Amino acid sequence: MTALPTRRHLLSFAAAALAAGVLPRRAGARPLDDVVAAGRLMVAVYRDNPPFSYRKDGALVGVDVDLARAIAERLGVGIEFMELTAGETVSDDLRNAVWRGPVVGGGVADVMMHVPYQKEFGLRNPEAVLFGPYQREAFALARNPMRMTQPMLASLPDEPVGVEIDSIPDFYLLGAFGGRLRERIVHYMTIPEAVDALVRGDVAAVVATQSQIEAALAGRAADFPITPVTFPGMMTSSWDIGMAVKENSRDLAYAVGDAVTAMLEDGTMQALFRKHGVTHNAIPVE
Amino acid sequence: MKRLFRTCLLASAMAAGLGLSGPALAAEGPGNDDLLNDAKTTGDVLTYGMGLQAQRFSPLDKLNPESVKGLVPVWSFSFGGEKQRGQESQPIIHDGTIYVTGSYSRLYAVDVKTGQKKWQYDHRLPEGIMPCCDVVNRGAAIYKDKIYFATLDARLVALNKDTGKVVWSKKIEDYKAGYSATAAPLIVDGKVITGNSGGEFGIIGMVEARDAETGELVWQRPTIEGNMGTLNGKESTMTGVLNASWQGDLYKTGGGATWLGGTYDPETKTLFFGTGNPAPWNSHLRPGDNLYTSSTLAIDPANGDIKWHYQTTPHDGWDFDGVNELVSFDLKKDGQTIKAGAKADRNGFFYVLDRTNGKLISASPFVTKITWAKEIDVKTGRPVYIDDNRPGNPANAEKGKPVFSAPAFLGAKNWMPMAYSPATELFYVPANEWGMDIWNEPITYKKGAAYLGAGFTIKPLYDDYIGALRAIDPKTGKIVWEYKNPAPLWGGVLTTGGNLVFTGTPEGYLKAFDAKSGKEVWKFNTGSGVVGSPVTWEQDGEQYVAVVSGWGGAVPLWGGDVAKLVKDINQGGSLWVFKLPKA
Repeated sequence: MTALPTRRHLLSFAAAALAAGVLPRRAGARPLDDVVAAGRLMVAVYRDNPPFSYRKDGALVGVDVDLARAIAERLGVGIEFMELTAGETVSDDLRNAVWRGPVVGGGVADVMMHVPYQKEFGLRNPEAVLFGPYQREAFALARNPMRMTQPMLASLPDEPVGVEIDSIPDFYLLGAFGGRLRERIVHYMTIPEAVDALVRGDVAAVVATQSQIEAALAGRAADFPITPVTFPGMMTSSWDIGMAVKENSRDLAYAVGDAVTAMLEDGTMQALFRKHGVTHNAIPVE
Repeated sequence: MKRLFRTCLLASAMAAGLGLSGPALAAEGPGNDDLLNDAKTTGDVLTYGMGLQAQRFSPLDKLNPESVKGLVPVWSFSFGGEKQRGQESQPIIHDGTIYVTGSYSRLYAVDVKTGQKKWQYDHRLPEGIMPCCDVVNRGAAIYKDKIYFATLDARLVALNKDTGKVVWSKKIEDYKAGYSATAAPLIVDGKVITGNSGGEFGIIGMVEARDAETGELVWQRPTIEGNMGTLNGKESTMTGVLNASWQGDLYKTGGGATWLGGTYDPETKTLFFGTGNPAPWNSHLRPGDNLYTSSTLAIDPANGDIKWHYQTTPHDGWDFDGVNELVSFDLKKDGQTIKAGAKADRNGFFYVLDRTNGKLISASPFVTKITWAKEIDVKTGRPVYIDDNRPGNPANAEKGKPVFSAPAFLGAKNWMPMAYSPATELFYVPANEWGMDIWNEPITYKKGAAYLGAGFTIKPLYDDYIGALRAIDPKTGKIVWEYKNPAPLWGGVLTTGGNLVFTGTPEGYLKAFDAKSGKEVWKFNTGSGVVGSPVTWEQDGEQYVAVVSGWGGAVPLWGGDVAKLVKDINQGGSLWVFKLPKA
């Protein structure tokens, strides 16, 4: 079980098989000197991932986008973005974004934003270096307080609950309490869609990541209280988000990591999250 | 040139004389009757499956276990470019031209006699396509003056067969949502019929018919109970019964992709489409049969209505899916001839059904180890599960216990089509002997968010072979002979009236076997792995064989320990043509 070709990230395993270099190698992710010499940092961000990276009136915006711009500025280089369609798992995304490039070509980015920072996951993806955690993500419940008086999963009333399809809250609620809630779970493709349904009254609550709920509710948050939730018995209720570079670009990771640390210390990071209506959750020092 | 000119003149004269309008007859390719008769006409190969029933049988008999020793290459055509990867195509042969698709959604027209390229179409693939299982394509379809194929960005493209110019291009699904398309289209009564593929979550399977001339949608049939079909732009009938086998709103995203396309039986006027596994992957979250996932659907080509269904793996928890092709054939048993259909399912059982009503006639294992079910009960048509071997529920455990399960999720038989010989009355099934460990994965991530996944790793069952080409008697379910291959078999099978069976191997060989005894009688190494489907036809009194070569597909991507066994096979991308020269 070392290679862990798990089913939903079979392609990450694939990646290892393909690393043998069967495709023509294009310009790989570059070490720091190359980035500085070129005067430009290529950064991969997820497509359609509000509030972190998404298109608003045609322009690429979001927390990750602003953060990447700030990093490039601190490195004294320009910036270009690569928008990444999410694969079945982040391992696929790492392959496409930083160490091999998309299957149809197009090259790789120097840095990828919004990569889970976790030791075991890093070990499973030796082709990339995970670094620079900048946000602790967790789940939260947003509710219509008239229909759901208690923000507790264990005492959900007989009301419809919205989730993002295939997310941890989806799996948890489908299986929880012997499947008692299953008939009432309403699936949405994205969290903003689920939050819109909450505002419309189609569902009485939404369970999803806190940052996405906060951003989607924005000005409407006063009417729909948000409460953090954990999933008893489930393994993951919170995780950290950082960045990744290709394995050969550690010096770039150090430079970017230093920029992130400085931004955390001088309050730039917190302000940046605030601008997008998201609470910045510091990562506890271990 | 001169001849072409004369033909055109003649054609327009005829058209004028008959008061016809439209394109000159010279440009007209095969019509509906030609497609319906494809299995019987030996001078061409007009359909994927060498006949709409997909028996992959040619009556040609110049090549036989003796004469095949004289089979020699005529030419080889390179697909070119920097791009190689898996070549899973089946060539189409019409009027002196071979139409063959390559990896990365490319299509070539090549002169049969010389191997000279006539034209090439390179589909412009957008960044961000997410093909699940390599960048393959399984073949084209021809009808009248157009050639059709599906592309990795989930489009259906119609090209002029003589020029390669795009006539129309229609979006089947949104590639940005993870959809893709790799199967060969099926053309019945002037409609191009396709399935859908990709996107393991948030999708439902669909069968769609489009007007072959215009590409306009005629009907849609969702494969999951509770969803509404359409006909001529209006709602038609619901698939199954709402919430009968799905709880809550899960039917809206229940999976059941039809990624391998379908077959057609002109005798019963029925389309047969296999459907993929249900979603979400954790079967404990979706109690019920989850109709119509992991099933075969019999569909009326006129309106898309479902005539019957047969579910091979109810409540699939192993990712077997049930997309494998149903091959129509006459089952001669106890003095009767039954209109039957056979399907070698990924789950390891070889099913024989009455194709007029979907009733199970028999089901027998075609691999040596099946852990998920004891047998298929012929009376009920349902598997007798071995409950202990269902993967555990991650909600009940910190980390589920690993379950060893056979066949592996790549299936006892994957996409590669089998063949049926009316001469020997045997099916020839390309099988693989492998199992998998499945466990609940503690932490995985998707689009930056934590996700609850399952871990799978494939393991060979035997030291000396994984692939097994097996001749199966559909009357008894018995295996009559087998050929064992060290690497997994991943290519299609062809059988002929000359008592031969052809198939390719990842080791690079195209091989021929005696159809009755299984004795290997010929082989040729094509220089890269063969994972395409061979065809045969007759031209100027000589029998030809063609196959594509180019290693790839899902095995090197997903094969676990098996991928290690095949990692040294070089990639390629070429079309090989062989013939038996006149004495």
